[in-house]
Amino acid sequence: MRRTLLGYVPDESPIYDIHPFVKLYFLLIVSLFPLIISSPDWNIVLIILQLILLWYARVDLRTLRIYIPVAISMGTIILLSYTVLGGVHPEFELLFTVFGIPIYWERLYDAIVVYFRILPMILTMVLFLSTSRERDVIVAMRTIKIPFVATYVFAMALRSAGLVMEDFQIVRQAEKARGFDTSGKSIVYKIKQFVMYMIPLFALSLRRAEEFTNALVARGYAFTGEASKVKRADYVLTHYTFTTKDGILTAIITLSFIAILILRYGFGYLEAEDSRLLAWLHSLLTA
Amino acid sequence: MTTESYQPSSEMTAEEIWTIQEGEKRSVGVIHIVILALLVGIGFVVGAFGSISFPLGFGVNFFWTGIAVQQIGSIWFGMWGVLAGCIFPFFSNAIAGTPFYVSAAYIPANFIQGFLPAWTFRYFKLDPRLKSGRDFLYFFIAMVVASAIGALYSVLVVLQGFGLLTTDSLPLFIWGWFGGNLLAGVVLNFILLKALSGIVIRMPGFVKGWWA
Repeated sequence: MRRTLLGYVPDESPIYDIHPFVKLYFLLIVSLFPLIISSPDWNIVLIILQLILLWYARVDLRTLRIYIPVAISMGTIILLSYTVLGGVHPEFELLFTVFGIPIYWERLYDAIVVYFRILPMILTMVLFLSTSRERDVIVAMRTIKIPFVATYVFAMALRSAGLVMEDFQIVRQAEKARGFDTSGKSIVYKIKQFVMYMIPLFALSLRRAEEFTNALVARGYAFTGEASKVKRADYVLTHYTFTTKDGILTAIITLSFIAILILRYGFGYLEAEDSRLLAWLHSLLTA
Repeated sequence: MTTESYQPSSEMTAEEIWTIQEGEKRSVGVIHIVILALLVGIGFVVGAFGSISFPLGFGVNFFWTGIAVQQIGSIWFGMWGVLAGCIFPFFSNAIAGTPFYVSAAYIPANFIQGFLPAWTFRYFKLDPRLKSGRDFLYFFIAMVVASAIGALYSVLVVLQGFGLLTTDSLPLFIWGWFGGNLLAGVVLNFILLKALSGIVIRMPGFVKGWWA
């Protein structure tokens, strides 16, 4: 198993055959698809495709469990904000009333359209985080010639996030070892406790900043001035080759994007008005 | 390229903390790049905690702990903290399921939320160790204004611009963003400044101006 930004992927996963740039490109371009597609039907197709990709990449789908409450809470909030907080609109089609609150078809329609736009965007991010390692992101950044200093900051930030997590666990375990237990305590108590975690976390990070700096200076690293202009060997890039397959995948993503743009704005497809799901739901609710 | 370490005494006044002394040389150094990276790292973890634990939706939270890193980092480390405050929400929001382009559109709000408190401390020569009522009051006002601007921009421009909210549901999200950031700021910022500013102002990485 290899650790990714969100979980673990088996060593034999086909995802390792794909160049990291393609994964980053997928994130940046496919995230735009739901912004163009308003039909829930097609966004559901996109969700299914992404789930298939996750399965194909052999991602442990149990890691997605943390997103179930996010998806539910987001769905509930969207539904409430569109219906309960949606106001009174006599011009809309009234479906029913709940405790005197009118629920309109137009509001429900908008809530469903928005929700099914958000879900594929979340899944695109989950797919990227589940299949990419820290090194992949760095390789992708170097491939598109992002300056060394930006890549280095990014890499160091990801590393330091891991260190902060470790520090956080150490502080918590030290408290537990002394018999401290937050279970059953109120949320206010837990927040107060979080404040107490923040001070050592910040203090440790600040101390680490000086240690990192000394180590970098001792190794001759420089990010400004003459010393920074020395051409560096991109050692990490030598481990990755951009193959024909990667080129084809990049082309497929690009062509899909162009096709979606043409279908939506050229021919008027992929719009919510054409949705069979919404039409079926409307007939169900008004029957 | 070198960083001249200047260590002010603990007896320094607020005016002296922000004033570059005669003969004192300050320039951007490796330590600032390292601080930027470490702030992004700590913001990633701390911000993700708030984003996952108290979500309202689309990256808006009832108690966003990341605000502490955003504002305290900017006060201590100037533009490096502001930059970190713009970058780390990408990661912390991503973990909590906020779409990439929504996070990208939040950048101006995150910039203001970090920049305004940092500017307040530098312009009014406030003491980051919070030694007087004036320091507390001005910082609190800066937090209120920064959170208000952030909330208005994020909800009215970003979320409505993406077509994610109806006009009727805007107040919930505006108050959610404003309250969630202000509450977390009040709980975390004062304590962190009080506890750690005395040490930070002696660090070579402490930024008196905007970059060094």
